[in-house]
Amino acid sequence: MAAETSLLEVGVMFAAIGAVGLLAARLDLSPIPFYILAGIGLNEFVLGAAGLPAVSASEFVGIGAELGIVFLLFFLGLEFNLERLLADKERIGRAGVIDLVVNFGVGLALGVYLFGDPLPALLLAGVVYISSSAIITKSLLDLGWIANPESSPLLGTLVFEDLVVAVYLAVVVALVSGGGDVWSAARAIGVAFAFIAFLLVLVAAGTTLFERLLDTPSTEYFILRAVGVTVLLAGAALAVGVSEAVAAFFVGMAFSSTEYVHDLETALSSIRDVFAAVFFFWIGVVTDPFVVVEATGVILLLVVVTAPTKLLSGFLGGRTYDLDDRRSLRVGLAMVTRGEFSLIIAAVALSAAGGTLAPETARTIYAAAVGYVLVMSALGTTLMGASGWFERFVTV
Amino acid sequence: MRVYESEVPGVGRKFELELTGERSVVVVVHHDGRCELFRRDGSDADGEKILDLKGEQANRLGSILEGAYFESVDVDSLSVPLGDAIIEWVEVVPDSPVAGKTLGDSRVRTETGTSIIAIQRGEETISNPAPETALEPGDLLVAVGTREEQAELDALVEPE
Repeated sequence: MAAETSLLEVGVMFAAIGAVGLLAARLDLSPIPFYILAGIGLNEFVLGAAGLPAVSASEFVGIGAELGIVFLLFFLGLEFNLERLLADKERIGRAGVIDLVVNFGVGLALGVYLFGDPLPALLLAGVVYISSSAIITKSLLDLGWIANPESSPLLGTLVFEDLVVAVYLAVVVALVSGGGDVWSAARAIGVAFAFIAFLLVLVAAGTTLFERLLDTPSTEYFILRAVGVTVLLAGAALAVGVSEAVAAFFVGMAFSSTEYVHDLETALSSIRDVFAAVFFFWIGVVTDPFVVVEATGVILLLVVVTAPTKLLSGFLGGRTYDLDDRRSLRVGLAMVTRGEFSLIIAAVALSAAGGTLAPETARTIYAAAVGYVLVMSALGTTLMGASGWFERFVTV
Repeated sequence: MRVYESEVPGVGRKFELELTGERSVVVVVHHDGRCELFRRDGSDADGEKILDLKGEQANRLGSILEGAYFESVDVDSLSVPLGDAIIEWVEVVPDSPVAGKTLGDSRVRTETGTSIIAIQRGEETISNPAPETALEPGDLLVAVGTREEQAELDALVEPE
């Protein structure tokens, strides 16, 4: 693509994002799969194959997608409530461990069965383990379940998953960006944890520093300083081979103990919304739908196996909160929804193509994950909406 | 009466207030000030959304419930089709001096200047009551008059 057309390309991208967002709002569905489909529809494999000018995976879209990941995880850290986790650690811990053991375990088994290698298995396990905080929270509000007891195990388990994923991403990104042998993998993990330790020290000791940094009456300076710190640290992390997502998560956590949490949420949520949408769009742009079609068998296997596993682990999680069968079932139905984090892991897999992963394997994992999220984001929301039908089977 | 408070990541805070019996009211306060109110009629019942308020409306409702909100309506600036007359309802209590008298004998018209345009008696309404209509305990008199005249009517109908 020539440089002079790139602004037009970006314009087409944002217009498409806006248009499908409108469609999603009309249909009252989560916009995430729509952003992905918009990206697929406009990419070189679809529009380009038809001989029309396509939206290329330009540098701007790629960096925009990375910023989307950074801001998504930054907000996760910002809203991560360690006190809440600790105050309810018994129940959250039990429900969270059940969720982790069942789904991550099944994901590992599926990965080994499909690829016969530990690294692809680890990536696939992450994709099927992590439920979508964004979509589930929105559905909870839409259905009014937020007022019911089933919201406690759901939100608790999601908080637990967030923490697991921060650690998981640190390890996996280190493994993926390291060399193929055990030594370089160990070194990469060492670097990752050293960087996280540094960030944790920053979180613990940096509150006053961050408070001083953000102490300005000007909204403009406030936003720019917050964005500056977050993106700089995330970029630095990536430069030394640590997951930028994890770095952003901890920076968010550092800001969460300041008095500016609410201001940050207000000031940065629009930036997050824009770049998160670019991230989902980029996921679609680099997706070859024909590879997704080739991976249909894998996707079906994942859906058929891991929808019931979430249903089971969610149900058991609800039971640990002493909920009745009907409400426990709702927890299970809600947890089926997968979304943004599975896609972040898919992007990690794609970045390993030709490096620590065979190009073929990386592409298959990526395409399967995209197809899987498209199915699971829609399936989970549908199951929650139809929960009344399922509840008949458990109510006596 | 206990209040449970919890955080809803990415949304805001949730409060659950126990009411009498097993009932409770749940309030979800969003970061942007939006407030959703749900009622739950029992520990097994699902929340039923009663209200979805913008921040401003929620604050206003809150202060009304708290008893802190009071903004008197300026009656003088109200435009009523009756000039400066207003319509008021007065109850004839059993030991009222006018109870048992006819409308004419009660001298409502001459003493206070108000006109009784209707009498609400249980289920029935006597409109335009004649002077010989008897006033019974429990009657609601619908009167038209200025605020001063209405005050005089109140004084006349009230038991001594």
